[in-house]
Amino acid sequence: MIGRVRPLRIVALLVLGMSLALPAAPAKAADGELTLEGIVNNTILGHAEDGYYLNLKPFAQVELPRIMLVRTADGALTLEAYGSTKGLLQNGPYGLAAHGDEGEGHAGPITASAALAEAIEAKEHLHSTAVRTSGEVVADLSISRHLIFGLLAMLIVLGAFIALAQRYKKEHDRPEAPQGIFQNMMEVLVVFVRDEIAKPNIPDGKWRTFLPYLLTAFFFILVANILGLVPFAGAATSNIAVTGVMAIMTFSIVLLYGSSDYYKELLTGPPDAPVLIRIILVPIEIIGLVMRHLALAIRLFANMMGGSLIIFSLIGLVFMMNVIMGEAAAWSTTVISIGFTVFILLLKLLVAFIQAYVFTILSALFIGMAVEEHHPGGEESEPDVGLDGRVEDRLDAVEDKMEDRVQPTTA
Amino acid sequence: MDPAALAYLAAGLGAGISAVGAAIGIGRLASSSMDGAARQPEAAGDIRGLMIVSAGLIEGVALFALIICLLLVLFV
Repeated sequence: MIGRVRPLRIVALLVLGMSLALPAAPAKAADGELTLEGIVNNTILGHAEDGYYLNLKPFAQVELPRIMLVRTADGALTLEAYGSTKGLLQNGPYGLAAHGDEGEGHAGPITASAALAEAIEAKEHLHSTAVRTSGEVVADLSISRHLIFGLLAMLIVLGAFIALAQRYKKEHDRPEAPQGIFQNMMEVLVVFVRDEIAKPNIPDGKWRTFLPYLLTAFFFILVANILGLVPFAGAATSNIAVTGVMAIMTFSIVLLYGSSDYYKELLTGPPDAPVLIRIILVPIEIIGLVMRHLALAIRLFANMMGGSLIIFSLIGLVFMMNVIMGEAAAWSTTVISIGFTVFILLLKLLVAFIQAYVFTILSALFIGMAVEEHHPGGEESEPDVGLDGRVEDRLDAVEDKMEDRVQPTTA
Repeated sequence: MDPAALAYLAAGLGAGISAVGAAIGIGRLASSSMDGAARQPEAAGDIRGLMIVSAGLIEGVALFALIICLLLVLFV
């Protein structure tokens, strides 16, 4: 098996691993020296977190527009738009606060134009917070990296599925076997979501109602996750806001489509339970309901964030070695770092699929639990629907129930 | 002692301990699902699906802990 892996492929993998190192090359501090803190803040955290620029180093570094909804000093709400963070700092009443400098007790933000120019020269403005010097920022509506890649993922999913839907448009059922790699691959995935995720978890044929949502969630997460593996790009799902909104969608579906049985059990506790136990159980159930969906958001976010943190930490190790132990150590670390990066990249490809699957199957599970109805016709209600002629049956049922109740106490 | 130093210490220890917990959980899960799959190979597909879901749930708890550690480091 190993003998069949062509050297070309290994080289391609290594190039992929190294291409991740390109955008991560750290910006130099103001005095031209690399510092450990600068590497941690800018190289590792700055690339894993959201930011207001697209990092295409060594080719370019594109700053994204900043849009701020502000309340000016005289109390008027205005919308301010700047072409870039640089423009925001140079033309607007904004200053630069370094990481962790937002609190009180620190020196105020940098506002003097000479100091600002120096900070911009050192690319400091990309990794720090812009604070308004007069009035206050109500909402920061700036276009960020994760927004760009989230929208890109949306466009890819839209494009792929509109193209795919065209092939099924003419007939209700497709007339022939799927043709071509694209249709075959997508049909396998769609059928997988339908047969392995939706059908087993959502009862009573109600899966048809929720299949569109599950498919959308699955493919959006999958594409966004895979975009996170592309050099120069980023994963929109490594942003807690994105995953939070997706979890809120699942939560609102659970709340909106929850059956009356589900709500009754949620708000009054399980049937046949003593009142005291119900008083304890109901708050636990409600907290559990919220925590389940919160965990849904945090799981996806932390997995994607953790993956990119690991990759940038491995690459940052090279630059750290350069600072601590000199150039020779850095070169030898490069070999190990790139090797591990390739390994983690392959692992992340697996994680991209698994997380999309886990999010979707858990959503399906929660929705399935909510929409499930307890059918009349269980052992308790059956005798009640019996007519007068079925007294014998009812007696039998009562006897069965008596036996059921007596047995546990005698055993 | 410096509170920041304590926070870093807590973050490091917390990350390690949560990793131990997750490792125990996922290890037990993997061992019993392999037992199950070996005993009943025809159910291996179902077992795999269940295993991934429960691994995701266990991992979620560990990741909660890691997020807390990360917050400790980043916002001391």
